[in-house]
Parts: sequence; structure tokens; C-alpha cells
Amino acid sequence: MRRLAANPMALAAGAVLATIIVLSAGASIFGRYDPNVGDLANVLLAPGGEHLLGTDDAGRDIFSRLLHAGQTTLAAGLLAAAVAITIGTPVGILAGYYAGRLDSITSWIANMILSLPGIIVLLAVRAATGPSVWFSMVVFGVLLAPSFFRLTRTAVQSVRNELYVDAARVSGLGDVRIMARHIFSVVRAPLIIQTAMVASVAIAIQSVLEFLGLGDPLVPTWGVMMADAFRNVYLQPLLVLWPGLAIAAVTISLALLGNALRDALEDGQKTPKAKKQPKDAGKEAAGQHGPSTGAVEASAEEREHLISVTGLQVGYPQAGGTLKRVVDNVSLHVDRGEVLGLVGESGSGKSQTAFTILGLLPETAQVAGGRILFEGEPLLVAGDDVRNRARIAKLRGRGIGYIPQEPMSNLDLAFTVGYQLVRPMRKVLGLSASQARDKALELLATVGIRHPERTFNAYPHEISGGMAQRVLIAGAVSCEPKLLIADEPTTALDVTVQAEVLDLLRGLQQRLGTGMLLVTHDFGVVADICDRVVVMRQGTLVEEGDVRTLLRSPSHEYTKTLLASTLEGKEPMTMLGLERAK
Amino acid sequence: MLPFILRRLGAGIVLLFAITTITYVMLYFSSKNIAHNILGEFATPEQIAAKQAELGLDQPLFARYADWLGGALTGDLGRSWFNSEPVLQALSSRLPVTLSIVVTALLVATLLAAALGIAAAVKRGWIDRAVQFFSLAADALPSFVIAIILVTVLAIGLGLFPATGYVAFGSNPSLWLASITLPVLALIFQLTASSAQQFRSAIIEVRRRDYVRTLRSRGLGEREVLVKHVLRSAAPPALTILSLQFIGLLGGSVIVEQIFALPGIGPLAIASTTKGDIPVVMGIVVYTVIMVIIVNLIVDLVNGWLNPKVRVS
Amino acid sequence: MTYKRRISALAAAAVGALALSACGGGASTAGSDGGSKSLTLGSVVEASAWDPAQAHVGHYIPMYEAAYDTLILRSPDGQLEPMLATDWSWSKDKKLFTLNLRDDVTFSDGATFDGEAVKANFEHFKKDNGPQASTMQNVESVEVVDADTVAYHLSAPDPALPIYLSNAAGFMGSPQALESQAIDSVPVGSGPYVMDESATIAGSQYTFKKREGYWNPELQKFDTVTFKVMPDTTARLNALVSGQIDAALLDPKSEAQASGAGLVLTKQQVDWQGMFLFDRAGDQVKALGDVKVRQAINHAIDRKSILDAVLLGQGTVTSQIFGESTSAFDESLENYYDYDPAKAKELLAEAGYADGFTLKMPSATGFDPVIYSSITQQLGAIGITVKQENLEGNEFRNRVLSGDYPASYYGIFQGEPWIAIGHHVGKDAAFNPQGYTDATSQKLIDRVQQGGKDGDDAAKELNRYVTEQAWFVPFFRVDQMFFNSKDITVQQQIQQAVPSLYNYAPAA
Repeated sequence: MRRLAANPMALAAGAVLATIIVLSAGASIFGRYDPNVGDLANVLLAPGGEHLLGTDDAGRDIFSRLLHAGQTTLAAGLLAAAVAITIGTPVGILAGYYAGRLDSITSWIANMILSLPGIIVLLAVRAATGPSVWFSMVVFGVLLAPSFFRLTRTAVQSVRNELYVDAARVSGLGDVRIMARHIFSVVRAPLIIQTAMVASVAIAIQSVLEFLGLGDPLVPTWGVMMADAFRNVYLQPLLVLWPGLAIAAVTISLALLGNALRDALEDGQKTPKAKKQPKDAGKEAAGQHGPSTGAVEASAEEREHLISVTGLQVGYPQAGGTLKRVVDNVSLHVDRGEVLGLVGESGSGKSQTAFTILGLLPETAQVAGGRILFEGEPLLVAGDDVRNRARIAKLRGRGIGYIPQEPMSNLDLAFTVGYQLVRPMRKVLGLSASQARDKALELLATVGIRHPERTFNAYPHEISGGMAQRVLIAGAVSCEPKLLIADEPTTALDVTVQAEVLDLLRGLQQRLGTGMLLVTHDFGVVADICDRVVVMRQGTLVEEGDVRTLLRSPSHEYTKTLLASTLEGKEPMTMLGLERAK
Repeated sequence: MLPFILRRLGAGIVLLFAITTITYVMLYFSSKNIAHNILGEFATPEQIAAKQAELGLDQPLFARYADWLGGALTGDLGRSWFNSEPVLQALSSRLPVTLSIVVTALLVATLLAAALGIAAAVKRGWIDRAVQFFSLAADALPSFVIAIILVTVLAIGLGLFPATGYVAFGSNPSLWLASITLPVLALIFQLTASSAQQFRSAIIEVRRRDYVRTLRSRGLGEREVLVKHVLRSAAPPALTILSLQFIGLLGGSVIVEQIFALPGIGPLAIASTTKGDIPVVMGIVVYTVIMVIIVNLIVDLVNGWLNPKVRVS
Repeated sequence: MTYKRRISALAAAAVGALALSACGGGASTAGSDGGSKSLTLGSVVEASAWDPAQAHVGHYIPMYEAAYDTLILRSPDGQLEPMLATDWSWSKDKKLFTLNLRDDVTFSDGATFDGEAVKANFEHFKKDNGPQASTMQNVESVEVVDADTVAYHLSAPDPALPIYLSNAAGFMGSPQALESQAIDSVPVGSGPYVMDESATIAGSQYTFKKREGYWNPELQKFDTVTFKVMPDTTARLNALVSGQIDAALLDPKSEAQASGAGLVLTKQQVDWQGMFLFDRAGDQVKALGDVKVRQAINHAIDRKSILDAVLLGQGTVTSQIFGESTSAFDESLENYYDYDPAKAKELLAEAGYADGFTLKMPSATGFDPVIYSSITQQLGAIGITVKQENLEGNEFRNRVLSGDYPASYYGIFQGEPWIAIGHHVGKDAAFNPQGYTDATSQKLIDRVQQGGKDGDDAAKELNRYVTEQAWFVPFFRVDQMFFNSKDITVQQQIQQAVPSLYNYAPAA
């Protein structure tokens, strides 16, 4: 509720809607005239004087008529929404719970209903049943029911799956009751939002029908008023304005309100606007968390490294205005030809650090402090736009390469493997088509793919996970970068394949002399291939050192815990086995 | 590909059958006094009886439906009860008018919505918020309100466009354009709004995908990534969105045609349902469902073609 | 690559769709084609089937007149003149009507017009069950006396027969074409014009070209006649103003614009509108059985205000149901009932209904809602509670004509007395669903049926009787607002909604 109130659009919409509802409900109080009584001597008067909004073609006071009409219009919209909920929700619940044939049948019916153009159906129904606002709204409610059906069905399905975990412990009766409670909590919010939207649509459609003369012209509704107004449009054009505004105000407010509700409920997911970080804010934020590095010149030492990260602070703005830091004052460096392991649990900020270097963070991220130098040149300074820095754009692929974690989702399924290898090379290295193709085939062979030609022509869905990862590695090194950033390159692979890929990586790195920043949670991988290690925890760097030292005698408590926990169920590495023996 | 098409067509035929049956049953109950209306106020009881026999109104529901269905399956949708015009001819002579505004509106709206959706999804910031607000507002606003405002202000007030009437493209292209401008404007408002919102969501979702990030990491330019990869992956959901919009347009065009007095399917639909001219109403229902089926089929086909998994197999 | 292909496919589809729309609906308008005279009319209705048995009166007549001749021609002032028939006469007992026919007329398909053709048309007219079939209900048979003489045998006198034969029942189609269904789409008659199928689009536009060898070139004032279907008043207005059409019927609300654009206005009164008090016997609503109550209702209605509000004053307030041009019209009855709510209340009290009563009435979408709300308001002011029931157009007619309601608002054609009697006064009239009759009125009606001078006198007496007995509550006669461009001249046709086709001529 509070979040809702904070949204200015929601407040405005809510205020408008509330005003209209109050005015309509109290039509007899606010409108001084009988909506159906007209003075034929005073038709089509302009607004002002006795009549706030003037009179219509029967001499009736427009303002009073508008308010009374509001009652009927709003009630009718509500009726349609109510019918839709009453039909859609229970059926959706049943379909989601029992699944099977019931689900298929009801889903098919729902799809069928959704595929009909509403107006045509309503016209046909009207041919059969005659003019009646209420009946049309009931029918329209039926037409709208599928949206509620889908909503509840999806909700029930998700809850049901969760519950199967506990199925063993829960008795049959308790099952239903727990489901009921869970369903309500899951379904409640979307239902409210959907109701707002549905009511908006219902009012719109109802107005259309009445405007077309398919309603009861003697019962004042906004649609009827529009029809009256349009009939007299040559005589008094202003008449269309009032009911038009009323309809517009209600339908738009309902939609805005529904949308704002949805935003308020999806708290963290809905990101507030990403603003360009002003330079001062960066320095200021940096000052609160350790030594400010913004204004300080880069030291000579920093410039020596292949890549040096100093005092990096990255965060995401929260709804309340605070910045949630995911990388908090992290400093590290990688030298030419060395492999740095970046270790931590999930949520430690290790991937975020890697993405920051590459400039691949989501738009909402903000760099609050620190800097990154690549080959001595500034790559990132506080206040930079995290995505579109010109400097990093030039370096991607050529200076810094990236090996992603999940092989299958990192290839575009619509293009062949070959295309995805060749195209960057042509762009970045300026090779011709045939040159790039030759090089690609060569690379595929290098990474251990047995039939390079076949793989080259294949689509990603036709190759295995292991092959895909090799392809990605090939791609990463294809433009001969000086630094490779590997994000958990083996985590998603089978154990046997892991070892092969690690060998491959090590071989490549040594042969090409690239520096590598290897992000991982697996100390085994660290021991296998890294020269140095840094450990991160909840955004901060807790320990740093060369591999042997850190693994043998970690100084920080957290590192010790981490090491201990990774030993469970894993093959003890030689050095660590020594450690235990101690 | 062929079995896929056949299956979709099969499902479409079942749908068509189901909907026409339901509609016919509903209309059956409304046709009791039709003869009197066709013949006018001064018809004698003998005349009415004769007319009822002629139209088969005295027959039971099943027989009448079977009769209609038999005709429909051979392409004969019967004749209007009121002016004996063959239904098929009535539809085919009006279809070009409806198509000219629907197709034009769809094209213009798609281009606009794509531009807005891309701008909102890529640029974010204030553009994003502006597009979202506009989408919500214009989507909720009923198109007939917009149409009436357009007529009142632009046609009657400023006299820039004709308030009603249609001029065929063949007889005078520039007048044709003038006669469809306001109707198309009224339609694209809502269409652009809802499509832009959906395009935006689809593009944002695709941009978040892993392979987009990886392609960027390779050094491919932002524009190339956007156009070749993001938009292409966003195309299937976008096409699905468009097909839904088209169906919505079929409904929206009815109102717009009525307001602007265009001789399209819309006024025919309203007149025939008001009068109870059942053969024409059935014809319109059939036409509508067939359009829906065709559009869905085209979208499925295009999606299948875009998806290599389907194409290669 | 694939991208480009996809886009070009889309573009091709779009162009295709647009081309499709260009091909359809693309018939050129009959306009200025250098030298030849053309007439383009905006029609409120779509043409019905072209079979003459399906002919309708009112707005449909000019369209049928393009292709078909009638036996008798009705001139603009209502006089009956020879057309396919040269002269005619009644038998003494008024049950035999004999016509002598022209012998030099052929149909557009070459068939000859003769007595046999008339008989064939009559039989087809009755059998085909068209909207005007009831006009021939009193005719038992048509006898072919010889090639150019026919005799209509009636079962009862029908003084309106000659008028009917100048209308729908008089259209003569080619006998051999009558039986086929093709005549529904393309008329085959002996008329001044022939349909130009290439320039005709059903439901949108009907084009006719001058017929070579037509027996009466004087009636062929134009080379081409086009009817454009425009049910929407605003569309007709715009088309008139922009010159797309030469003439059309508009309404009071568009009068200012039309006159401002330099169009010529002619007014014509054809209908009266008002309340029909079906339940004069008082079966459903006892109160209505008392003449004082009915008179009270007549005094309670402020006719002028309603006329001003709904029709912008375009009409004539009246208290009688017969039209100005008919023999029954009585000037002194025009304002028989003035607007006097006090008097109305008095009359109600005298009848014993000082507390008023409830009256159920149907309302339809065809009339301006202001009328219904005004009735409710004005009757409410004298204590009568009106319960409106909104009915769909079809429902309305059916329920009203089957006697479900004690009263209703309606508009009806003011024809010659015998026709009016048959429509809403006589005991078998469609708009007398309760079948109300009494000795006085029946005697008068019988005299009207015999025709002649006595028939006319009886009609006047009937008018007075019906008005004094307040069988109806006439509100006003409606002005038809007919506009035409200065390029043509046109004469209005008495007792017809739109002018006959013959009444148009190019401006000198």
C-alpha cells in the first residue's frame, strides 16, 4: 500500500477514480436535476449559469445526467468483471488442480473464447436476445472469463508443484486446506490487478454498444450520452466532450491503477529508472566506504598490471532510494600470462565484478566508486555509464574475451555455430569471409572438436553441452584477447567433460600467454589452474594470495569455512589432503 | 511442415464448426417473428405464413441448421432474407473496404509500435516511462471515443477531412486516402499503444538473455546485436502479439466503420444483427472465424520458419 | 538474407491487400463525362431484390422506376395519368376495373407487353409474397379480355386500386424473366433505363443507362442515372456538399450546413407522427376506454416544444391524422387540441381518474429518444405514469402489431383516405391490433369504400369523428427536407417520401 502511494501515477489515477465514484454514487446529492426530466424550452444550452455543463437535446441538465449515468455505467462494468471472476476463477482452480483431461478441455474452450472478436459475438448475442445492458455485460463477462481462468490455473499449477515436495507429510484433507490458503495468497494480487483491467475493458465495450444504439436509449449511461451527443454534433459539438471525458477518465485510471498495483507488488523486480550516475554522487558514495579512490591518481603500480581494479563499488538502486552494493570496495589485478581465481559463493559479487570489467552489467546497475585500468589506460571510472562506455566497447573481444557459464543459453539458436564464430572475427579483426572461416575451423579443431566442419554448419540445438562450451571458448579466444574472463566455465558441464575443458583452458592460456580471470566457487578448479586467488564474500574481498599459500594456510575465517565445506563429497586434492593430515 | 499445417487447419475447422453451431442455435431462438419484419407492417397473416414457409422458419432447428451447413460447405452462404442479395457477394463487395483500413492501420501501427517499443526498451529512462504511460492510457481509451473526438475536431470543426464516406482507391487515390485517414487514426491509437507495450516487454526480455551478453562480449556493435539478434528473437512473440491485435482490429473496425459510414463489413454486421437477417449474420461469423484461423496459421508458419529447429527438420 | 526476404514478403502481402481493396469497390461514379447528362441520387436505402414483385414504396420507388414502367403514372400533384395503360374505368358495382393497354411497348429482353404480361405479373406479384403483396388482397384475378385489354376482378370495392397500380403493384416486368432468380439481381422491364451491370455494385451503387427505343423519350431526361446507397445522413450531406451526388433527403439537423452550401431545399410532408391509442376499448387500460381520458392526453402534449426540440420546428403541429393533400383534410381540425395541461387534468378528473393511472408504452430506437422522454414527462405532469419498455426494432413492430401494448408512438404514411383506413383506422387495419370499431365509423368507412364524391364527403366526416373521439394523439406532420444541387430541377411527389425519377430534369 505504501509503495502504491509513493507512485505519483497511481495517486493521480486513484484520486480521479475515487472522485468519479463518489460523485456518481451521490448523484442525487451532487446533481440538482432529475436526469430524465428535460425542459424543452432550454435545449442545447452552453455550459454555465444554471447548468454547470449545459443541457442536452431534450433540455436535461448534463451534469446531473452524467453523474446518474455514471452509476449505471460503473455498475455494469463491475458486473462484467464479477461474472468473469466468478466463472474464470473456480474453473481455473479446478483445471490447475486436477489437470489431465479437464485441463485440456477447459483450456481449449478458453482459447476458443479468446480467439473471438468480442464485438461480433455481442452483436450476434444481441440479435438473439434483444437489447439489455445487463445481459450484454453478463455475456461479456463470459468472454472475459478466460483471462481469469488462465491466471488462477497458472497460480494453482505453481503451488501444486511446490507442494509435492511435502506431499508425503501432508494428509489428503490438509492438502486441500493448505492449497486453499496458498492459492489465495498467490492469486489475490493478480486477481485484483486483472479486475481493474477487466472493468476498464468492460466499461469501454459497454459504452461502444450503447453508442451504436444497441443498448436501452432511455437509461442514461455514458455510452447513451455519447450517442445523443453525436446525433447533435453539428448543433452543439461540446456535448461529446463530457461523456467522452468521463469514459476516458475511468478507463485510463483503472488501467493505470492496475498497472501501478502490479509494479508495487513486484518490488525488487521492477527496477526504478536508471539514471546516469552524476560524478559527485560517485565520489560521495565512495567516501562512505573506505578510502576514496575517485580523485586520487592511479599509481604507477596499478598501471603495470594487465588489468587493475581498484576500490570498485557497484550497486543497484532500491525502491526506497538506497543503493544495494553488490561489489563493495574490491581491488584486484591480473598480470600478463597469469591466472587469477575469483572465488566466492553465489551472491558474493564475483560475477558482478567480472561483468563490470566487461561492461556487461544490466542497465540498472550503477558504479558508485573505484576505477579499472587496462594496460595502464583507464577503462572505467566512477560515474561511467555501466553499459555503454566507449572504451570497453573497443576492447571487447580484442582486448578482453569472455567465456560464459552456461553453454546452451549463450548461443543464439537462430544462427549457425559457424556464423557466430565468423561474424565477430570479421568485424573485430577485419578478416574476409574465407579467412575468418578458415580460422574458425582451425579454432574448432584446437578446442578439441572432432568434426569442425560439421559443427561449423550446425545450429546450437544440434550440438551437445560440452561441444557448445568448447565453441564458446573458441569464440572467446578467436580475436586473440589479452585477458580472458571465464565465468564458471565448467560448472554447467558433466564431471568428465569438466576436466577436459579445464585442460583445454590451461593449454590455451599457456600457449597464447593470455591473462585470465577465472570466476568460480570450486576450489578444485582453483587448485588446478590458478596462480593466484582472491576470495569474495557478500561483495567484499576477504583474502588474497597465491594459490599454494591460500589453500594451505588460509588466514581469514571465511576462507577456512569455505575450504572446509568444499571438501565434502569431493576428491581431495593432493595439497589439501596434506592439510587434513595435519 | 505439411502435417503441422494440416493439424492447425484441422483445429481451425473444429473451431469454425463449434462457433457456427453455437451462433446458429442462439439466432434460432430470435427468429420467430422475422417474416413479419421482412414483409413490413401491412402484411396479411397468409403472407406471413407463406414467407415463413419460404424461408423454412417453420422447420425444426436441426433441419434448418443442416440446411444451412449443407449450403455453406459448398460455398453457398444463402441469401439475405431482407433483400435477397447473396451473402457471399455482400461480404466480398464489402471486404475490400474493411481490409483497406485494417491493413493500413496494422502496418502503420506496427511500425510506430516497433519504433516506440525499441526506443523504450533500449534507451530506458524517461522515454521508457513516457512510452509506458502513453501505452497504458491510449490502450484503455476506447477507440470510439477517439474516433468521435477526431470527427468533431478535425472533420467538423476544422474541416480538414471528410466526416464520413468512403472513396475507392481505384476511383480516386487521394480522396481514398482522405477518406480513410481519420478511421485509420482512430484505430492505430489503441493498436500502437498495446503493441508498443508488448514489443517493449519482449525486447527487454530478449536483451536480458545470456547469448546477447555473450555476443556483445565478442565485440559486436550494439546496433548489430539489436537488429540481427535481439529483434529477430523478439519477432515470434511480436508476431503473436500482432495476430491478437489483428483480431482486435476486426472488432474495432466495426465501430469505426459505423461512425465514419464506411461501406465495410462493420455496418453490415450491425444492420444484419439488428434486423435479425440470419443468413448474413452467419456469413459474418463464418468470415470472422476464418480470418482468425488464417491469421493464426500465418503467424504459426512464420514463427516456424523463423525457428531453425522447425525449419531444419 | 532471410531478414530481407521476410520483409519483402510482408511488403508484398501488404501491397497485395491494398491492391485487392483497389480492385473491389472501385466502380467509377457517374459524373461529368463530357456532354452527356447524368443524375446521381443519394439513396437512404439499399435496393431490395429487383424482381418487381418485391418492389416497395417510398424510398425504393425511384429505383424501380428506372427499369420498370407502371400501368398508371402518378404525376407530382397526385393526378393519375396514362402510362402502360391508356385509360381505365370502373364497373357499376365497383368490383371490376378495366384497363386499355398500349400496344407498342417491349421489354428490354425483347418480349412484348400485352394483356398476358399483365396477368403474368399479377399472378407473380401475389405468389412471390413481396412487401406490397397485401395491396392486391382484394383482387381475385386478372382477366385478359384481349391483347390490349385487361380486367381486374375484385372481391370487394377498393377505391385505392388505381393508386396501387401506379405504385409497386403496377410495375410490369418481362413475363419470361419473372420466373428466374436472375431478375433479383438485374431488373428486366420496359422502363426508360437499363441497368449497367459493370458500374453496379450491390449494396453500394446502382447505375442505369438510357434505353434505346424506349416508347416515351420525354421521360428520359438523363443519359445515366446512378443511385448511391448512403444510409447515413451525414454521409449524404457531405456527398451533396462536395458534389458527389445531385440530390438526397437530409434532416433538420443538417439543414443549416446544406443551405449554407448553396443547395436548394424543398419540403414535403408525407408522414404524421404521434401516439396511437390502440386500447380505445379499454380492455387493457380501462381509462383509455373513456373518450375524456383520450382527449385529456391530447391536451397534455406540448406539440410545438417537441417539434422544436426534435425536428427543429420543421413540421406542422396537427390534431388530425389525414394529410393536407387528401380529400379528408379539414383545416378547422388542425388545432382541435391545444396544449392545456390544466384542462387535461380537469378532463381526467371528470372521467374519474383524478389520481391518474399507469400506461405501458414501447419505445424503439428508430425515433429520437427525446420524444419518449417528453411523453413520459408531459403525461406525468397530469398524473399519468408512463412505463417505457425499450424494444429492439423487430420486436417493436411485432409486439405492437400483435396488440401487446395499449398505446405506442409511431409515424405513419398519410395516404388517401381509403389507404389510411386500411393502414390504421379500419377494423382490420394493421395498426388497429385490437380491431376496434363502432357503428358510426363503420358506416362512414363503407361510404368511403364506394368512392366518388360521397366517398370524399364521408372521409371528411370520418376525420372529424376520429379526431373528436381522440382515437389518436397526432403530434405533427413531419417536413421531409429534400436538397438538390443547382444543376438539376426536381418536383416533389405528393404522398411519396422522395420524388419519382421522372420528376428530375437537368437545370435549363
